[in-house]
Amino acid sequence: MTHSSSRRTRRRALAGVALVSAAAFALSACSGAAQGGSAGGGTTMTVFNGATGTINENWNPFSPTLLQPTLGVIYEPLFWYNLAETSEPTPLLGESWEWNEDGTELTITTREGVEWSDGEPFTANDVAFTFNLLKDTPELNTSGLAASAEATDDTHVTLTFEEPSFMQEPQVLGNQAIVPEHVWSELDDPITTINQNPVGTGAYKLKSFSAQSYLLEKNASYWEEGKPSVDEIRYISLDNADAAAAALISGQVDWMSSFLPDLDGLLADNPDLSYVNTPALTTSIFTCSNADLGCEGPQTDPAVRQAMYHAMDRDQLNQLAGGGFAATGSPTLLLPERDADWIADSANLTTPEGADTDKANELLDAAGWVLGADGVREKDGQKLSMTIQTVTGWSDYISLNDTMAQQFKAVGIELKPTQLAWNEWNDNQTKGTFQLSLDSIGLGASANPYFTYNPRYSTDNTTKVGEPSYGQNFSRYSNPVVDEAIKAAAATDDEAVQKEAYATIQEEIVRDMPYVPIYINSTLTEFNNSKVTGFPSNEDKYAFAASWKAWDNGIVLKTIVPAE
Amino acid sequence: MRFVLQKLGFYAVALWAAVTLDFLIPRLMPGNPVDQLVSKLAQKGQVTPETRRAIELLLGADLDQPLWQQYLGFWGQIARGDLGRSVAYFPASVSDMIGQTLPWTLGLIGLSTIISFLLGVGLGTFAGWKRGSWVDNLIPSLTMLQSVPYFWLALILLYVFGLILGVSPLNGGYDPWNTFPGWNWAFIQSVIYYGTLPAITIVVSSVGGWMLGMRNMMVSTLSEDYILTAEAKGIHPRRIMRAYAARNAVLPSVAGFAISLGFVVAGSIVAEVVFSYPGIGNMLLQAVNSNDYALMQGIFLVITLSVLGANLLVDLLYGVIDPRTRARS
Amino acid sequence: MRNLPPLTPKLLVGLTIVGAFVLWGIVGPFVVADPSGIDNIGLSAPSADHLLGTTQTGQDVLAQFAHATRGSLIIGLVVGVLTLLLSAFFGVVGAYVGGWVDEGFSLFSNVMLVIPGLPLVIIISSYVTDKSVWLVAGVLAITSWAGSARVLRGFTLSVRSRDYVLAARVAGERPWRVLLVEILPNLVPLLASQAVFGIIFAILGEAGLSFLGLGATGSFTWGTMLYYAQNSLALMRGAWWWFIPPGLSIALFGAALALINFSIDEIINPRLRDHTRAVTKRWQVTGPSSGTAVEGAAPAEKEATA
Repeated sequence: MTHSSSRRTRRRALAGVALVSAAAFALSACSGAAQGGSAGGGTTMTVFNGATGTINENWNPFSPTLLQPTLGVIYEPLFWYNLAETSEPTPLLGESWEWNEDGTELTITTREGVEWSDGEPFTANDVAFTFNLLKDTPELNTSGLAASAEATDDTHVTLTFEEPSFMQEPQVLGNQAIVPEHVWSELDDPITTINQNPVGTGAYKLKSFSAQSYLLEKNASYWEEGKPSVDEIRYISLDNADAAAAALISGQVDWMSSFLPDLDGLLADNPDLSYVNTPALTTSIFTCSNADLGCEGPQTDPAVRQAMYHAMDRDQLNQLAGGGFAATGSPTLLLPERDADWIADSANLTTPEGADTDKANELLDAAGWVLGADGVREKDGQKLSMTIQTVTGWSDYISLNDTMAQQFKAVGIELKPTQLAWNEWNDNQTKGTFQLSLDSIGLGASANPYFTYNPRYSTDNTTKVGEPSYGQNFSRYSNPVVDEAIKAAAATDDEAVQKEAYATIQEEIVRDMPYVPIYINSTLTEFNNSKVTGFPSNEDKYAFAASWKAWDNGIVLKTIVPAE
Repeated sequence: MRFVLQKLGFYAVALWAAVTLDFLIPRLMPGNPVDQLVSKLAQKGQVTPETRRAIELLLGADLDQPLWQQYLGFWGQIARGDLGRSVAYFPASVSDMIGQTLPWTLGLIGLSTIISFLLGVGLGTFAGWKRGSWVDNLIPSLTMLQSVPYFWLALILLYVFGLILGVSPLNGGYDPWNTFPGWNWAFIQSVIYYGTLPAITIVVSSVGGWMLGMRNMMVSTLSEDYILTAEAKGIHPRRIMRAYAARNAVLPSVAGFAISLGFVVAGSIVAEVVFSYPGIGNMLLQAVNSNDYALMQGIFLVITLSVLGANLLVDLLYGVIDPRTRARS
Repeated sequence: MRNLPPLTPKLLVGLTIVGAFVLWGIVGPFVVADPSGIDNIGLSAPSADHLLGTTQTGQDVLAQFAHATRGSLIIGLVVGVLTLLLSAFFGVVGAYVGGWVDEGFSLFSNVMLVIPGLPLVIIISSYVTDKSVWLVAGVLAITSWAGSARVLRGFTLSVRSRDYVLAARVAGERPWRVLLVEILPNLVPLLASQAVFGIIFAILGEAGLSFLGLGATGSFTWGTMLYYAQNSLALMRGAWWWFIPPGLSIALFGAALALINFSIDEIINPRLRDHTRAVTKRWQVTGPSSGTAVEGAAPAEKEATA
């Protein structure tokens, strides 16, 4: 579910491909009526989750290259976090949880009456086994969980952490597939197994696999009464937006998430087709902001970053580059609609819509940037000229850059767009060898702002320019006040205390602006309602609608019903 | 014998050059697989310093070895037929991935090349024999088709036949809804159905070249003295065309054909991308896009070996068929 | 020059089309609007304001087309010239000097020939980022000269052993003079034809690379135009004004070059000249008909056509 791959353009889709097809994209497709429906007379739907080219079988829920339906559809977590709106975690394999006072012990009550798809009963022992396997196998432990688990009886398991770990909660409860002990304890090598016959608790189980397509079938003994209702789910791979659009229009695909230009026009002749737009990823200018860690260029001056923030005309950007589908973002980098409660200062709720060139000019003047003869400002012999990188073929981002270059001219900032191959672009971000880069801020493990602020702003998640950054703080931002507040928020599960910490962070980052938000980019998901109905909509956000979203897919697939 | 040895020597050098190139190129590229995998995971949300360590362990990344050691190791691997593990498709092995895609490419592009060759040589023979006939006049327009960007033509045909007329499938190698890969008639039928339009586009855009080459050789051959002699002897014109002219004229085309068979694997990338065909070219592009060194190397090696193999075969065969070649070397 | 081809209708048509494109590529960019200029109008069909309509972001297609024509022609030209120089060097010089140099050059070009071009280009161009048209041209040239070199070598070998060349050498002319004055003129038609092939190859190759998303970045060529059109589903949305002109231009330009090449081929190989078989027979019986035979034209050579 890398957003980058889920976003529109074909190059993106290609870049995202392989690695991501596993983790990132979910495709669900319905067997097209055009293809004659399913053999058994039941309902089969076809999903396109962004997989391209040859699909490689891998149902290992610990693997970074797994197939996306592994998470949520075949294997389930303890709880499920709905990132589409503010809500409490939904119990799946767990029923409730409780922390001890200092956040070092987490006790989980597990669900009774759940069966693995091979008929064995699910118990708290499986949960304990899963977390201990993670702890003992560093190769699989991509989340760095270091909890030892012990099942106290068949329905209770206790996880013990070495330090206060409230912020591990979404990872433990909502982002870890539980595997059956009786199968996984027998495996020779859990690291490289592709887990050919996955035994899970999910609503669907694997029926057949080929390198071009795979088929999941209903798990008849699924624990939730009356679910799922759709008999079979077919996943297919398509190479590019062109093929995806064609497949959608011809009725081959029932559920997919691709950015298709002129979506309204494409779907106009087809009453069965509909789409939903669920903006979630904040497109931002990532700046290499920290001169102390080796960043070079005018963007290391906060006034320049502020000026860019005010000089851009977001309405025009949305019209020309965002297809009019983008939503308004927030300078706090949170989602204004979902996270309003977390944004301390209502002035920071949303970004401006139009350009405020006066404000931008004022900021630059005050910072000592003087307009030169060629219309570009200068300071101490340095021109206010920056390169902004994006990836070849990300056509909307390229349009964004072109448009912003024109808009920034008005305040004496020269923007030089460059397009790079994904590899190089990514390498530059990781190593900090860029001035400005266009990218987006993704969804965290839960809606708690910690999962936006910690990876992007904490000093722990960055390093000097030239060295690959382990975390995602590509901006090289380092601010002791922010670090302190992040730690404070992590040390408690008291939301009032957290809010206070986030208020501090927001004040700092709105002033320093290491990531300059543009807008919340659209996530378009297209449906064919002729075979199945009941997908998430903007009125009913029971899950994130995108077909590439792990975990949420399991919820969507067991909720939808065959069309009348 | 000297001829054969000389040829083999050449191929040894070519092989060495290709393998060395194959070894070097991915190592000169920016980024490394660990960073790539980490970044892609990062987009899922959860990335910590531990993630990176886990991925490093998982991939067994060992980029700290000196280059020459890696190089020797690379030759060792090739000798063992072990092409390593794909990163993008971890834990699948490169040979498996190639094995999965190669048959599709060989089937589609290979067959189209053969059809194109037979058709082109047939028509070329006729055009050369009857210069100025309608077939002959077809040649300029067919060559013009060669100047049309292949993907452009293919996209238009796909749009017209697939989406507007609906007589052709839109993508893929077979119908995944109603058939399952295997030796069953439904699947084979579906493969043929799905392969028809791609094959037609390939034939249409390449037949002109064969035709022109054959026609020109035919014309040259027809002015040879032995044709005159044959005519003077009163041999039936059709026999002259086939047994005297065409048989000699086809020699360069046969050489070209064998070479182009070698390039079947290489030339398929664009076609496979347009039709979302599950072949090796498509996979090469994916490997490039996901920085999958091992997979890239493996595919490049397979392509190079097939080209070298085809060339070697032609050279050796040619020495047998056409003794003049031997003499000249 | 004695090797100048006769002005047949084929040649005339070819030259006219090529000339028109070259003119457009030179003049066009000066008379059109800003090709990157964004306009709130969005995708729109041809109109009085935008003769070829606009793109997704309201950029003028005609303006892009003018710049793209220049870009593609530059690529064609650069690759044509580079291919010519490389293949002449490795093919002609090697064959003329002979001995170890020839062996070495020949081995090198044969190795280059069997190393598959497109995958190599893909890998090289994914290595180099921020690709300019010059770079793409360079990459295409490096992977495409070997075939020409082989053809030229074969031909040079045959010319070298002709009597008048031997005579010149015996007469004590300096080797470089022999090469330049006695041999090279005979190679001109073949060189021209190889260069023309090089140009077609380059323009098609660039378009293919761009289609795969590996072409020149930030500059306009026919290939990148098609790429963006394709990316915006131009075809599916009926935006023919965006998708058709670049593709058709490549086809037309390539066809025009092919027509020119036909004419050149007929110099290289007089037997291909426009006769019906009946005429050919007559010609063979009665001797060359006046005016069609070109003095000094090279006879057909196996390597040349193979």
